[in-house]
Amino acid sequence: MKLKVTKEEYMYQGHTACPGCTAPQAMRYVLKVLGKKTVISMPACCWSTIAGIFPYSSLKVPLFHTAFPAGASVASGIKAGMDVQGKKDVNVLTWAGDGGTFDIGFQALSGAAERNEDIIYVCYDNEAYMNTGIQRSSATPWGAWTAVTPKENPEGNPKKDIVYIMAAHRIPYAATACVAYPEDLIRKMKKAKKMSGTRFFQILVPCSTGWKFSSELSIKMARMAVETKIFPLYEVENGVKYTINKTPKGLPIKEYLKLQGRFKHLSEKDIKFIQMRVNKEWDDLVSRASNYTA
Amino acid sequence: MKKVIIGNHAVSYGVMLSRTQVIAAYPITPQTEVVEKLTELCSNNKKVKLLKVESEHSAMAACIGASMTGVRTFTATSSQGLALMHEVLHWAAGARLPIVMINVNRAMAAPWTLWADQNDSLSQRDTGWLQFYCESNQEVLDTIIQAFKISEEILLPSMVCLDGFFLSHTSEPVDIPLKKEVDAFLPKYKPKYQIDTDDPHAFGGVAGVDYYFEIRYQMQEAMEKGKSVIRKTGKDFKKVFGREYGLVEEYRCADAETILVTSGMIAGTLRVMVDEYRKKGKKIGMLKIRTFRPFPVEEVRRVLKKAKKVAVIDRNISFGHSGIFFQEVKAAMYNQDRSKRPPIFGFITGLGGRDVTPDIIYEIIDHTSLHSEPKSDIIWVGLKK
Amino acid sequence: MSKKIRLDRRKDIPPIAISLESTLSIKTGTWRYFSPLHKNKIPPCNHECPIGQDVRGFIELITKEKFGRALDLIRKDNPFAGVTGRVCYHPCESVCNREYFDGYVSIGALERAASDFGSDKKKKAIKDKKKKVAILGGGPAGLACAYHLRLMGYQVTVFEALPVLGGMLRIGIPDYRLPKNVLDKEISAIIDMGIEVRTDTRIGVDITMKELEKRYDAVFIATGAQLNKKLDIPGEELEKVVSGLKYLEDINLKRSVDVGEKAVIIGGGNTAFDSARSIVRAGSKATIIYRRTLDQMPAYIEEVEQGIEEEVEILYLTIPIKITENGNNRLDVECIKAELGKVDASGRRRPVPVSGSNFIIEADTVISAIGEDADLSYIPDKIKCRRGLICADENGVSSCVTIFAGGDIVEQPRTVAHAIGSGKKGALAIDRAFKKKIKETSQEELPVVEFESLNPDYFEEQKRTETPILTPLKRIRDNQEVKQGLKKDMAVKEALRCFSCGVCDHCENCLIFCPDLAVLKDVKGCKVLYDYCKGCGICMLECPRGVITMEKESAE
Repeated sequence: MKLKVTKEEYMYQGHTACPGCTAPQAMRYVLKVLGKKTVISMPACCWSTIAGIFPYSSLKVPLFHTAFPAGASVASGIKAGMDVQGKKDVNVLTWAGDGGTFDIGFQALSGAAERNEDIIYVCYDNEAYMNTGIQRSSATPWGAWTAVTPKENPEGNPKKDIVYIMAAHRIPYAATACVAYPEDLIRKMKKAKKMSGTRFFQILVPCSTGWKFSSELSIKMARMAVETKIFPLYEVENGVKYTINKTPKGLPIKEYLKLQGRFKHLSEKDIKFIQMRVNKEWDDLVSRASNYTA
Repeated sequence: MKKVIIGNHAVSYGVMLSRTQVIAAYPITPQTEVVEKLTELCSNNKKVKLLKVESEHSAMAACIGASMTGVRTFTATSSQGLALMHEVLHWAAGARLPIVMINVNRAMAAPWTLWADQNDSLSQRDTGWLQFYCESNQEVLDTIIQAFKISEEILLPSMVCLDGFFLSHTSEPVDIPLKKEVDAFLPKYKPKYQIDTDDPHAFGGVAGVDYYFEIRYQMQEAMEKGKSVIRKTGKDFKKVFGREYGLVEEYRCADAETILVTSGMIAGTLRVMVDEYRKKGKKIGMLKIRTFRPFPVEEVRRVLKKAKKVAVIDRNISFGHSGIFFQEVKAAMYNQDRSKRPPIFGFITGLGGRDVTPDIIYEIIDHTSLHSEPKSDIIWVGLKK
Repeated sequence: MSKKIRLDRRKDIPPIAISLESTLSIKTGTWRYFSPLHKNKIPPCNHECPIGQDVRGFIELITKEKFGRALDLIRKDNPFAGVTGRVCYHPCESVCNREYFDGYVSIGALERAASDFGSDKKKKAIKDKKKKVAILGGGPAGLACAYHLRLMGYQVTVFEALPVLGGMLRIGIPDYRLPKNVLDKEISAIIDMGIEVRTDTRIGVDITMKELEKRYDAVFIATGAQLNKKLDIPGEELEKVVSGLKYLEDINLKRSVDVGEKAVIIGGGNTAFDSARSIVRAGSKATIIYRRTLDQMPAYIEEVEQGIEEEVEILYLTIPIKITENGNNRLDVECIKAELGKVDASGRRRPVPVSGSNFIIEADTVISAIGEDADLSYIPDKIKCRRGLICADENGVSSCVTIFAGGDIVEQPRTVAHAIGSGKKGALAIDRAFKKKIKETSQEELPVVEFESLNPDYFEEQKRTETPILTPLKRIRDNQEVKQGLKKDMAVKEALRCFSCGVCDHCENCLIFCPDLAVLKDVKGCKVLYDYCKGCGICMLECPRGVITMEKESAE
């Protein structure tokens, strides 16, 4: 595929992500769009180590590590500091995992969004607290195994619909993206870069370590998530205009679940339930997309 | 220009005069007027951004982010809010950011309380922040200006404390300096480390067992250096503004037999009481501790070694031990020759804002006079019987 | 390149944890258990082509609308692109991996498109060499051998018994499958390279093997199989019982032939169908009698299907037992029905006559087309033969050092492609013999790519563009070419369906999806930075065409 983005890289080799981890992929393409004039505020997450431990850095842009809950609030401060110095062309990017977005970082994110802080917030979502050893977060899908939701008692709550929540803040832009569709991510990030105000991204990054599948399947897993409709690609403008970017093939969810060890304990009944849920949520999304009137 | 203003407003003026560029704050009684006044003072000022964030944790986090870009930053809080910031207070100090914060001392819940004691700020003792305790609204304004200078030199953040309601909401005459005077004293902030897209670095990455120790060592070095910087800054401040400050203030201690040690607003009351006792011929003196961190060990030893008795008055408590200033003073005095270690009495009073009246002081001084040595580590004063 | 940092002294450590170097000094390549290897493999079409053409290669050129270069690439191996584009049975299509996705690629139509739209570039010999080679037989095997030898610079003479060159291409295949002008053009292009032609020359009659061996440094025997197999039934010697080969020769050399109102054709191969369909075009009726069933017929299935559309009657499980002249001046062909019994030597269930099921078909002509034998009468004893064919290895080397053989006279499938392929291999073998070289075995056998190695997620479903075919009415009425060529844009569209199995086409998926930025673009394609590659295998799975394999790292 030919991507409409610079060939220049803003990351170095030698980062210590797990083999097959797709989180570096997400960063790679976001930075290709945002470019050199980007400052990253990064709360605790897998990328806190992927970014390199002292005295090394795997990024070619400045990175400020922050406390776990503070991704969006530190970014707000960075932006304010840049603004008062007249440095208005710097992209301030919060790069957080699902824990630092859906759970502990949610307050700061909601606060920043409500103030419409001029930042880009990217949540790279691997659906659990992976950096600490695979514990559930509110991004963990129903039925999944994690180290604190063993197969005897797997995750019993549905995944939080973070984009819907962010849309409710009426921020200018919120979107999902996926590492298997870099051209879609690039297009959306280019669009967001031109805007101001709070722009939110949820990028699905399958984790071979935590989802329990062989490392080479990572991109395929991401693609399957989209094609089975469990992770649709869509964007929301100003909190009300929903656009679905890709009509998925609609493969049965079983095709996706069976590839991952974290779902291998599911019964037929469980899979049926998940399929029903996926169908319902897809229908909801479609109706949101079609109910929008200018 | 002299104005009669409440302590909180003295803060606001001090912050604006210091050309602070980013302010992030969240409201909590009794700090609210600080921010209200600031919004008024910087409403048309494009050079200042005031973020009305959604919690104190975020306020400190935003200050950290802004400070890292190389601008002067400020926040204000109290009690619960300060406690909520706790993890990021550690972060700010570890990141060596010269943030200045006002903490309006207010007691900690549970149960809910609004009134002054020092447990909130003293609970942050080990975070690496400098701590100043102010006795008057004038001192508050003056200390803010000095705090920016001191912090920017040693690269550690400063917490300036004033008693809730007693200072924050009490009007006093304050000499508000001219902008150009402050500009001459407090130069533009020149950051040593800064977020710069032309020279990208990662800040705060994992420092393993091989490096963390030395990084923390350097924080202590900075604190040590801070003592001389605070002294010098206080002297320089006098040259420009006519008011001198140090790590401590000695009041009639030179020949005192009993020295009362305290901090904050109580020092104001004690000043009057010392004069009263002196009139009666009693050789009483007061040592006001202005900086709690870095702790003025040298001054404490120098001043107290000649006294026959020392009484420390704490408006705080470390549960399971005793008054905090009391512990710190005792510890400072310990590694010395016996001859330099007078008996030290520890009094705890005024928790939760109970007024420290002259009667309380009489009781403290009487008790000290009556006893040759303290019978226990805590002597409670003003507690209902 | 960044270096590893050692901060051993207290003063070396900054007051904050600020990064001092990049992570380039962290060689994560040491984590690997498996290494990705980018190595082009063999697409199944290339592997299956009897001529050894770079099928994938010419299809890729068509995707770029470079029809001329596509034709050049085909002609590197095969001088008869227009012929094979029409009449080859295209084994490449039957192994095309796209069949497992949404239907095989119409490779035959694309080969024809290359020949239709590619411009003719005159082929020249590289440099004249002294050695001389005699080619016996001017059919596809002989002419292909001549072509390759001439390209290498050797002096070549082609000996042909008929007055015209082409062999079975000319006399065996009717116009509606292969127009003569197409054949003539391609033969001329070969001869124009400077090849001597001696037509009307029969070996053993007009010139002997001994003379040939004396005058030439090597001889390539490619006289094919022109002797019609005997029916071995009473009546086959009758005048109106004609060999299929003879009938087709007459038709193709434009001699006048009349089979009467109806002809019965005995046999189930291409000769039988070519005869039957020619008869239908001449306005007569044709009935094919075949002893076995449809699925056992050796004729190409499209011949059979088109024949049925043209109303050729086919009687299966029908065995002819006697032909007699009847009172109407016509022939009575007595047949008996059969049923399938046990499996015989050919691997097929043998037909067993059903007693009492005899019946008679009345016809004006009977065409016998049950197979062809080679004429070995002129072959000297020193050349080993077996089962009526010359013994030669897969390169055409016979039991005599200077004698080579190819085409239908050796044991190989009797197709145009195999004939051309054996001509090419023979030429290469002759060249090696002259240079006293041994054929190099390739260092390692490159694997052939199977569908499982591909990643079809990167391809959109798109129905195959079929070769347009004339309606049966038009076919019979006009005797036009049955299969039409694709238009240029349709050819390009069809060519784009090719997966390019096993051969990197610079899609850069590996570079795009590598999480460790360990794949860089290179002049040749993509280069792996083994210092950093963690061996995750994403590149292997996301390569749409199976170019990358994961090999186990050795213990050290």
